[in-house]
Amino acid sequence: MSSAGIDSKGIDKVRDWILGRHPERTELAADVDLIESRLVDSLAFVELVYTIEDAAGIEVDFESIDIEDFQTLATIEKAFFA
Amino acid sequence: MDAVSYTAQWMAAARAQESEREDALFVDPLARDLAAPRGFELIERYAGGGLLPFISIRTRFLDDAIREVLAESGIQQVVLIAAGMDTRAYRLDWPDGTEVYEVDHALLIAEKRRRLDALGAEPRTDRREVSADLTQEWLPALEAAGFDRERPTLWVAEALTFFLTEEQAAGLLRLLASASAPGSHLAFDILGRALLRSPFSKSFLETLAADGTPWIFGTDEPEEFLTANGWKTTDLREPGQPGAGEGRWPYQVQPRNRRGANRLWLIRAEIATA
Repeated sequence: MSSAGIDSKGIDKVRDWILGRHPERTELAADVDLIESRLVDSLAFVELVYTIEDAAGIEVDFESIDIEDFQTLATIEKAFFA
Repeated sequence: MDAVSYTAQWMAAARAQESEREDALFVDPLARDLAAPRGFELIERYAGGGLLPFISIRTRFLDDAIREVLAESGIQQVVLIAAGMDTRAYRLDWPDGTEVYEVDHALLIAEKRRRLDALGAEPRTDRREVSADLTQEWLPALEAAGFDRERPTLWVAEALTFFLTEEQAAGLLRLLASASAPGSHLAFDILGRALLRSPFSKSFLETLAADGTPWIFGTDEPEEFLTANGWKTTDLREPGQPGAGEGRWPYQVQPRNRRGANRLWLIRAEIATA
């Protein structure tokens, strides 16, 4: 973890975006359910998708979104950054 | 009271909370007493997803629309459709001679009257209650209360179209158009379609459906929907924009062309002229 903060991985950008919306939190484990915990709600969801698109350099197809892919940081990493 | 009346209590509770904020967008001193018994419980039940700020922003947007439309047009006939626990007749400044018709079902109107009487509330204009079932023909009841379709009208339909099917929402706009003299206006809100389809909305939408008040209708092309049903959009905003709760909306306002964004439309329109 010594120098990871400088050249952060894509998934860290996603984590930073979520933490940025919730100043009361300082960390976010990979297995926290983002929906159940209301860290990402329906209106913020689209911003999450754009954040992932920017960080991963991909385009997400809104028509075929699988919510399972967005459940936790771990599932997001697996689906978009693996 | 039926399920939609609990929705009215929820709205009242949200307005009561807003009224107590330092930076309140409006103050509704009657809302707290109109929110009982279930309003505050429903705020908890439906928490999250930007609903509370949306309810407040929408209330203020429509307050502004009413004030500005009446001042600019000279309209003196205002109809609040499915008025619920709305207290605008008691809290806004109305031009002299304004008639405000509150249309809702008889049970809600009776309960609202009972509570407002107990509070000693006095309307600030000529307020007229219209008991009607909005799923049946209700214009005759409105006309029996004094509404005159030969005079221009401002129609206000707050938090109503969500609960309709697309056919019903279109039918409502056409019905209003059919009873609108030239120069009539409409102020209301519509959900975006993406919001109703987003997987992140699923559990909230399921809760509403389980409570008997499913959200059904939404569109991502509101101007086209209005045009197809007799109305011309004159002002279209989304929460977070100037004049629509800028600074109070906890989400980014997405550019119009951005795919997949969840929209909430705040709309002013005027009757289309042939």
